[in-house]
Amino acid sequence: MVILMASLSLPQGLAAGTVTVDHRLFPGLAEMDGNWAALAVGSDGKVYAGLACHGCDGHMVMYDPAADRVSDLGNLTRLAGEDNLQAGPQSKIHAKFGEGTDGRIYFGTHAGLWFDYARVGTREGYPGAHWMAYDPKTGAVQDFGIGPRFEGINTGAYDPKFNRIYGLTHPRGHFVYYDVATGKAVDKGRMNNFESICRTLGIDDEGNVYGNIGAGQIYKYDPRTDEITELPLHVPVRQKGISLGRDYEKSETHWRTVVWDRETRKFYGVDESASLLFSFDPHAGPYGEVKPLGQLCAAGMEDRRDIPYATLALALGLDRKLYYAVPQKEFDYGGSAGAGVSHLLSYDLRSGAKEDLGEMRLADGRRVIGLNSADTGRDGTIYFVGAIEARQEPGRPLESAGTIGGVPYRLALVIYHPKRSGR
Amino acid sequence: MTQRALVFIVLLAWCSVFARAQRGPEYDAVVVPQNRIDARDLGYPPADVIPNGDSAITALTVAPNGNVYGATSGKAAYLFVLNPRHGYVQPLGTIPDTAAVSNALAVAGSGEVYIGTSPGGHLLVYTPQREDRQPIRIKEACAVKDLGVAVKGESIAALAIDREAQMIYGLTSPNAHFFKYDIAGSAFTDAGVVANSKPYGEKFETRKMFSAMLVLDRAENVYASGENGFLYKFNQAKQALEKLALQAPAIPGREPWTRVESFITDAAGLIYGGTSDGYLFRFDPAKLRVQNLGKPLLAPQITALALAPDGKIYGVGGSEQDMARLFSYDPAEGAYQLLGFVDVNRRPYYSWQAYVIKTMASGLDGTIYIGESERISRLYLFYPVTTK
Repeated sequence: MVILMASLSLPQGLAAGTVTVDHRLFPGLAEMDGNWAALAVGSDGKVYAGLACHGCDGHMVMYDPAADRVSDLGNLTRLAGEDNLQAGPQSKIHAKFGEGTDGRIYFGTHAGLWFDYARVGTREGYPGAHWMAYDPKTGAVQDFGIGPRFEGINTGAYDPKFNRIYGLTHPRGHFVYYDVATGKAVDKGRMNNFESICRTLGIDDEGNVYGNIGAGQIYKYDPRTDEITELPLHVPVRQKGISLGRDYEKSETHWRTVVWDRETRKFYGVDESASLLFSFDPHAGPYGEVKPLGQLCAAGMEDRRDIPYATLALALGLDRKLYYAVPQKEFDYGGSAGAGVSHLLSYDLRSGAKEDLGEMRLADGRRVIGLNSADTGRDGTIYFVGAIEARQEPGRPLESAGTIGGVPYRLALVIYHPKRSGR
Repeated sequence: MTQRALVFIVLLAWCSVFARAQRGPEYDAVVVPQNRIDARDLGYPPADVIPNGDSAITALTVAPNGNVYGATSGKAAYLFVLNPRHGYVQPLGTIPDTAAVSNALAVAGSGEVYIGTSPGGHLLVYTPQREDRQPIRIKEACAVKDLGVAVKGESIAALAIDREAQMIYGLTSPNAHFFKYDIAGSAFTDAGVVANSKPYGEKFETRKMFSAMLVLDRAENVYASGENGFLYKFNQAKQALEKLALQAPAIPGREPWTRVESFITDAAGLIYGGTSDGYLFRFDPAKLRVQNLGKPLLAPQITALALAPDGKIYGVGGSEQDMARLFSYDPAEGAYQLLGFVDVNRRPYYSWQAYVIKTMASGLDGTIYIGESERISRLYLFYPVTTK
């Protein structure tokens, strides 16, 4: 494995270049402090994102590339009808969106603060996640109500085939879903411990849902039988070495994210601990097949214990390349280890070639510090959401969400055009 | 406070906010001390374990020889044993035609294990035979003998045993029959019901309210709670079921939805109970007196109780949608100690927290066994600090 990793990475010490990316800020929402997974490009080309705010209300936003306009689609606590509840706010969309055959964008909400779970089930605690849908035709968000009581949708995905929103709850790690047609909310029970909830649910073209349990074991939920099966398949997960603290803070036993490739009918994903790349073919053999594809990391980070934690910023481009944004330093917005600069990596599914496209910087040279969601536009544009350096404009106060390693940051939609970049 | 100081505090708060998004060392302060707790998988992982989905532990009991027997609920129910000298859980196989065993395990003086089943309502008996020498049984059925159905059309919802008299007592669901089974005579007797009708309520409130457990006093009378939280006594002398003029503690007006979730008897013959509203109470069967000992947790339901060798009562509270916490009550001091979440952190080997707990049992050596009751469940071993 080590040999394979090295062969897929640039030689240590070889500096990558710089990739200049475009960006859009979210006007009036400078206090939004995080984004995880919540980014999707609709069939109409519009880009939807969920912005998180710890201790306050999250927002759903939309970017219309045709009009080059960012819109705030709403305050999540208000959309949930809980604005005056004096209870834990709807602070996040913490999971992937999905588009239905009706064109609506489906998702579940999440809490921000957990207080070491001291408030679970209390009056001032979080009431529970809401299942929701945004309708681009009307511009309205429909609230389907609370799904899991006192818990948020930590991980989620929507399946247009069965018209269901799936989720893994936080803190108790239950596999839940909301059946949109029948209005039925279902809890299939616990899958994970609170600190090791699988961060992405993958859905194949038959509507089967996949996640991780235990030490990288894949499970499958089949909507036809309504049953969860734990498959004899594991994703590559690095054995833990000397702890540098992360294994206490974060799970290192699951895939971090997967994307579905319609062409090969396979998932591609990276593990949490070391961004080990793999493919998962759910249709091969009786249970499916996992193939390790090496390590997808920035130059010089291969096989290092202190490689930054994997991000959720993985997308499959129209050019058959996986695009993956990795931070230079352990990145989790205000909880980051410091302010580095994100690298953009690519992996060509046709050739297996990996490339470190370089440091992601804005046109004015500011750093893209870290990204945690990605999706591909209909024209091949790769969209990300994450943290960029905030800069004070002349005559105006600094607008930031906080600091990362002492550097003020704010959230932005980061836009990469593979064609324009000549890639 | 200066604006600069305020900004610094806010920034500091943000850092800790993100740090708390995952498990951090500060979480150690809200869970039980890690030198006092451990967990066991239900079998030999990865293959020979009671499957996820069938592993919710819903009954625990301790045999006269110290072995701990447990039963699970799910699509299928399993029986298991833990020999404290071995220290691991040995699955004994599936319980035939059974999906749930709810506080319905009892071990006779002979060592035979009696199992009350749901939904069938059968009373089964399992005879241990050199279990230590037997292989783990996962897919095979446990070798049990069917003693018959206690009350036709009813599931068995709780069991207790009088080892001296060789008499088993039970409650049935959904209609709250109190029955006894004479081991020597192999005969069931239906002694009546402890709840006639379900309380008024919302459309989802469909069950009659009666206790989740039974308990015996030193005179071998048997107690349950029934409709409106009233205590019922099976009078050993009269061989009759009596409704006592005593109710489990409840906020006035909430009696119709009150039931006793857990019972234990201490060495002096005093009975302790935990209610659906989360009150701990003491019931003196000799004086027919109930004392409300208050509410240790900000949570409904005390789902399980166990007695430590020093006389302290250990309990667990929290609903199905909650995150269970452990507490203790010292009768000598009249004081509670709140011990935190039931969590085992043995990284990098295993780490797991029990969110739903429905049963506990006290081992002969003072170890308290805690049964997690979720899709993926483990058996926890808690080692209390004894003060006497």
